Amino acid sequence: MPKLPGGPLARRPLHFIWIVDCSSSMHGEKIQELNTAVKEALPYMRQAAAENPNAEVKVRVVKFSTGASWQVANPVPVDKFLWEDLEANGVTDMGKALQIVAEQLDSKIMPQRALPPVLVLLSDGQPTDDVRVGLRDLMAQPWGKKAVRLAIAIGGDAEKSVLQRFIGHPELEPLQANNAESLVRFIKWVSTAVLKAASSPASQTQQGDRSANVPLPPPPEEEDIEEGDVW
Amino acid sequence: MNQLLRSNEMVRTESTNLSYIIEEFLGGGGQGEVYRARGRRGHLNSGSRDETVALKWYFPNYLRQDQDLKERLKYAVDKGPPSDRFLWPQELVQATDRPGFGYVMPLRDYRFVGMTDLVARRVLPNFRALVTASFELAYNYRQLHAKGLCYRDISFGNVFFDPENGEIRICDNDNVGIDGQSSAIDGTVGFMAPEIIRGEASPRSQTDLFSLAVLLFYMLVNHHPLEGARETQIRCFDLPAKTRLYGTHPIFIFDPNDDSNRPLPVHHDNARKLWPLYPNFVQDLFTRSFTEGLHDPKKRVRESQWTSALIRLRDSIFYCMQCKVENFYDPDALRNSGGSSRTCWECNSPYRLPPRMRIDHTDVVMLNHDTRLYPHHVDRDRSYEFDVPIAEIIQHTKNPQVWRVRNLSTHRWVGQNVNGQLTEIDPGEAINLSSGLRIQFGNREGEVRL
Repeated sequence: MPKLPGGPLARRPLHFIWIVDCSSSMHGEKIQELNTAVKEALPYMRQAAAENPNAEVKVRVVKFSTGASWQVANPVPVDKFLWEDLEANGVTDMGKALQIVAEQLDSKIMPQRALPPVLVLLSDGQPTDDVRVGLRDLMAQPWGKKAVRLAIAIGGDAEKSVLQRFIGHPELEPLQANNAESLVRFIKWVSTAVLKAASSPASQTQQGDRSANVPLPPPPEEEDIEEGDVW
Repeated sequence: MNQLLRSNEMVRTESTNLSYIIEEFLGGGGQGEVYRARGRRGHLNSGSRDETVALKWYFPNYLRQDQDLKERLKYAVDKGPPSDRFLWPQELVQATDRPGFGYVMPLRDYRFVGMTDLVARRVLPNFRALVTASFELAYNYRQLHAKGLCYRDISFGNVFFDPENGEIRICDNDNVGIDGQSSAIDGTVGFMAPEIIRGEASPRSQTDLFSLAVLLFYMLVNHHPLEGARETQIRCFDLPAKTRLYGTHPIFIFDPNDDSNRPLPVHHDNARKLWPLYPNFVQDLFTRSFTEGLHDPKKRVRESQWTSALIRLRDSIFYCMQCKVENFYDPDALRNSGGSSRTCWECNSPYRLPPRMRIDHTDVVMLNHDTRLYPHHVDRDRSYEFDVPIAEIIQHTKNPQVWRVRNLSTHRWVGQNVNGQLTEIDPGEAINLSSGLRIQFGNREGEVRL
């Protein structure tokens, strides 16, 4: 016997897409650190999603090296999403990755109503293909333009200007992860704080940035540099 | 997992040098992270005991944005909580080898759930619990405002309630400050008053009143009061969309003079199903909050209006004789419908009212099998006292058809039936409910209807 009429609030989908550099420079430690960081962040991501009754968070993964392809092509609800470890080898066809994301953000494919998608680009190097084409395709899609686009530069060799163009916002810089610790911190931040901000904004401060269509909380800072780190 | 503080790390209070050991990460938000911590209180020699608390530690970059945070927290600690429903800052803490600071507060018990659990229907409280929680929200924010403070960020994430009985806890009290003073906090989109979203005003007690009305609407109607047909026309629900919906062009989904934003089937079912159940006196307060009150802060519904309406609402709950679900007695609706009977929302059988008591010709209380009366009902000088009941409804032991009211108070009552016959009802004694029975409780009098 129901005690209350009605049911759960109707939710809008929130598409969260990891776009991961799997080129040979990521081989070894870096890709393993990335695999670990995402897996560790996943419970917190589920918790952040559960705290938001308006959002139905769905996760996908694109990997790029020589060419680009969907690692997880069909959007998986975050509570069912499992991270399959990625492996790295090949070149850095980042432009191709952005193109295949753009294809899926086409208004004809996307649901009629949604929350701003979140696109997280992780890379440690320089694109080997024409990234301008990918960016152009992405930004030609209204959902691409409306998406929260964030980038994490892994190590010191990442081409930050490309990542900055992907973000497309002057006040938001790529997050620089110089060690496993900071990679974990940034991945946790994008999969919790950013996820929350895109679905239903948290408390805002007056100094907060309101020029973006999704105001983001400040990212965690680079700290705790170990002596042995390349800094 | 990577976090600001590590397990077993120690922090100390600023003033008394008590120490707290970090035990577990509990959650993070835009300002910082919250941990469970264990503290040692009292002197080591005089029976010290461990105390488990919640500890919030701020992100360094948040501290740069919110310059007067420390002053605000110190003020809150000095001032003390407005009531026991607030998980109020108790002490500021700092670490020896890292910059920044945090504060400790009471730990929230597991029985409390979030508003998100309610609207996602992960919990299913009854109406009595929802109305009680709503009353407690209005009552306790009033205690805060009465101290000259404003909360600034009344929203989903900051309140918790016990789905069994509606008891509430208000957390995130670090945004609280003196009403009228400037602050770094603007609030949460969806709960902020329209004038804040438009950038014309800063949070103060009048904007708290708007946020409170949104929160109460969520609690009772399980939906946002401004999300109707216009929301479904928006493809991407981002800040520009929300600014329009909540700030520049807000329209109440049940605005009597503008039907352009009505709730739609499937998308807004809770609003369509729950709203019609509430009596006029509750609908009127929401309508005022989200029509006049949208545009004129001075016309917002005050907490005292909410508290009195919400107690009246709770007293109007009765159970369907057929299917036992809760319904609300609405004298206005019965009068306006010319006496034609209304029906149960669940099983559609016509209303059959239980015995009820009209107190001082104003308040009507349904006398259900589980009804309790409190000092609030019977003593003009003890409004909103609900801790210990002074009367209960019981079944006659020999004749289950007959219901009785038992005196649980320490005072003698005097009953008078329709024939004028007087009966003394001493503490512990009961009297049969009969139509026209009047009970003199002291400075208030109740009259029974069957």
